[in-house]
Amino acid sequence: MDYIIQTVISALSFGSFYALGALGIGLLFSVLRLINFAHGDFITVGGFALIVPSSAVVATVAIGGFHPVFTILCIVAIVVALALFSYFFVFQHSQTSSPATMMIVSFALGYTLQNAIVMIYGGRPKAVNVFPALTGQVQLSDGISVQILQLVIIAVTWILLISLVLFLKRTKVGVQMRAAAEDFRMARMLGVNGKRVIALAFILSGGLAGIMSLLFVTQTGVLTFRMGVPIMLFFFIATVIGGMGSLVGAVVGGYAVGIVSVVLSATLPEELRGFRDACVFLFVIIILLARPQGIVLTKAAKERV
Amino acid sequence: MIEANTPLLRLIRYFWPLVVLCVGLLIVVVIVDASGDIILAQTLVEGLVRIVIVAALYLFIGNSGIISFGHIGFVMVGAYATAWQTCCPYTREMFMPGLPTYLLNNSHHFILAIFLGGLLAALVALISGIAIMRMSGIAASIGTFAFMMVLYSAYLRWSTWTSGASSVIGLPTTTTPWVGYVYAVIALAGAFLYSRSKFGLALRSSRDDEVAAKAAGVNVFGQRLLAFVVSAFFCGMAGGLFGHFLGMLTVDSFYLGMTFITLSMLVVGGMQSLSGAVVGVVILSIVIDVLRRLESGIGGVTIPTSSAEVGVGLILLIILIFRRTGITGNQEIYWPFKADISASAAMKRQS
Amino acid sequence: MLLNVENITVHYSRLPALRDVSVSVDEGEIVCVVGPNGAGKSTTLLAISGVLNPTSGDITFDGKKINGMAPEMVARAGISQVPEGRHVFTTLNVEENLRIGTSIRSDRSEIEKDFKHVLEIFPVLAERRRQAAGKLSGGEQQMLVIGRALLTNPRIMTIDEPSLGLAPNLVDRVYETLIDLRNDRGLTLLIVEQSSERALKVADRLYVLRSGQMQLEGNAADLQDGVKVRQAYFGFEDDAAAEDEAVF
Repeated sequence: MDYIIQTVISALSFGSFYALGALGIGLLFSVLRLINFAHGDFITVGGFALIVPSSAVVATVAIGGFHPVFTILCIVAIVVALALFSYFFVFQHSQTSSPATMMIVSFALGYTLQNAIVMIYGGRPKAVNVFPALTGQVQLSDGISVQILQLVIIAVTWILLISLVLFLKRTKVGVQMRAAAEDFRMARMLGVNGKRVIALAFILSGGLAGIMSLLFVTQTGVLTFRMGVPIMLFFFIATVIGGMGSLVGAVVGGYAVGIVSVVLSATLPEELRGFRDACVFLFVIIILLARPQGIVLTKAAKERV
Repeated sequence: MIEANTPLLRLIRYFWPLVVLCVGLLIVVVIVDASGDIILAQTLVEGLVRIVIVAALYLFIGNSGIISFGHIGFVMVGAYATAWQTCCPYTREMFMPGLPTYLLNNSHHFILAIFLGGLLAALVALISGIAIMRMSGIAASIGTFAFMMVLYSAYLRWSTWTSGASSVIGLPTTTTPWVGYVYAVIALAGAFLYSRSKFGLALRSSRDDEVAAKAAGVNVFGQRLLAFVVSAFFCGMAGGLFGHFLGMLTVDSFYLGMTFITLSMLVVGGMQSLSGAVVGVVILSIVIDVLRRLESGIGGVTIPTSSAEVGVGLILLIILIFRRTGITGNQEIYWPFKADISASAAMKRQS
Repeated sequence: MLLNVENITVHYSRLPALRDVSVSVDEGEIVCVVGPNGAGKSTTLLAISGVLNPTSGDITFDGKKINGMAPEMVARAGISQVPEGRHVFTTLNVEENLRIGTSIRSDRSEIEKDFKHVLEIFPVLAERRRQAAGKLSGGEQQMLVIGRALLTNPRIMTIDEPSLGLAPNLVDRVYETLIDLRNDRGLTLLIVEQSSERALKVADRLYVLRSGQMQLEGNAADLQDGVKVRQAYFGFEDDAAAEDEAVF
């Protein structure tokens, strides 16, 4: 029983993490029809921004060593700046292209970022210790002890989700964003500033990426230049399975992927453990065969005839 | 003015882009072969193998409009399948102990091995394509990316068949420039003929307007699957060629790097043109070579490691922003002489 | 002239959709542009709204050149379009839809006055204030998008095929409302219509567009018998042939 509760919390924690990630992807897709393959690399940059540029194996913590609040603010600011930079200098110019072209653009951006990191920090993995207090355990009751970080991830996710919902529903700019996400051209014809809405989407997406980089690096304690790629892929899978173009779908998809991932980890026989990711993909493919547009349907997913 | 007014000339005019590309490559191969420069020959072989891959990419991406990030997975499947058949007869068991007895004890001629490698890749494409090609264009692209990652991590863990993270060493280095050239011609011809066939036409109609294509009776799923499988076949063969060029294989070489480079070559050259595939390979191979040499330092100038990758990335971004259709503008190399015989004949008849 | 479209040519890639088209609308007028499918009527409105950029020619509004302006700036200048197909924001509720356009205005109290006024003109919207706009019927959605455009406080409203997909009695209601808006508020209207019969009843002046070129322009009063309009609409020299083709 205790093991089950721990697994449940683990599943919720994983699910929350993927929900946040899928949300970051979903925001940009809904407003801009952009599949941002560089999202994972934004997270990577956030992680590497914690340390001093060097090729040492044990990283010297720079920003990571500041007061926690300051660290969080700095990292989030850096990633948001990166996101805005990529909007103004890269994505803005290809906005009129097809989603497919924009996808390659983001892939190119991501790959360039990865290798720029190698240029600055070298290619070897680095150990980094950030927010060590969170990696400790807390006793919930007799026999159930969970990692504090897992609870933090769940809490942070829900705080962010609720804030985002309030923002989208209650603020003028938020409503504009929802309108623009559904029908960008019509929104502009009613006076909504297209550039501002898109920039805002990038800021939100970048902010989410910044927070995720902190959570991720605290959890793993390792920085590698390619670390953003597998997680980015999982976020996309979550968006696809949840229903592209829907923010609710992104969250649902994120939880689905996270929960299945943990359940598989817990239940797969020893030899197949390494193939857990493949099994997650298999699960996703089965869902997509039954329901190709994803779980939550939106206007974006429906074909225009 | 040469008019295409004999059957032979008409044939040449039809195949003109293909002819130009093959003859052009032939000239390069002859020159490099004559020069005897080994380093140059190696760069050439690498380029020719890339041409096979990028031609296959063009076959699928150019005609379907769906970006595939997964074809390098097929290259890997073909490469290792070849290794299972031709590598290191005396040490095979040491590198890949899990192989079935037949493979442990027998070796095939490299041409057969490469062919079977291609077939295996095609089979893998068939199975995965049945799931992936059902999805919408963007979701399918994500699916191919996921597929490549799954293959990569599977091959990484499957150490009894692939040696996992370490290398498999000892493949016969049978890929000479001439061998590479022959396969490049085969791949180019295959991509060319496919595009000009009714299958290519049907697929392109779905690229331009999926709904209209379906309404016209095109089996979009089937056509996409077909192109996926055929392109995977060529990629598989390229993998075998690659293995027989390097003499060794590592799973890590078939991951993001190769995916990025080959995709860039296609995009920079022109995604919807076979000539673009070749142009892209040539241009970026030169760029990468120059940057790599600068990384090692020439004449006192040294640039940091990974500059080559960053350089290619920047080039790709610039092309995508300023000239989406690539260097060739999505056009093939055209017959330079006076065009249609039937039109001029008709005009003659009228007057 | 409040709005002056002068000899614009608009291309979709290399295809010319409009060639040398001119339309003018004076303050307080109701001007209709009619024509068959594919004539370029929607293209004209999109060019005015800034969504499309004319390759040549000029569009002036209140003396200022507006071709090349971004759509959000054209809206701020005082031109509001109700495009073809309604385009309600289905995921927003009725009130959110209505208020979307008010972001370009800064006069709080005026906005609230206008908002109440729109709910008076379209009482059904007041009833369904909090409902998701996607759940409204076709006629209700048409009311919604007109109300929405009104709330940007435009000087001229361009409307693309208001009758599309609506039952005839609903179309009557929509047009009644539009005429009232012109009469009560002095709102200038540029309406694109497929049905020239409807247009002739409502317009002060009429244009006929076909295959990207303007075929006819005139006062509605002079064109009431429909003969010249039919000719221009279908492109027949011979009126007898045109009568055979008449669908109305």
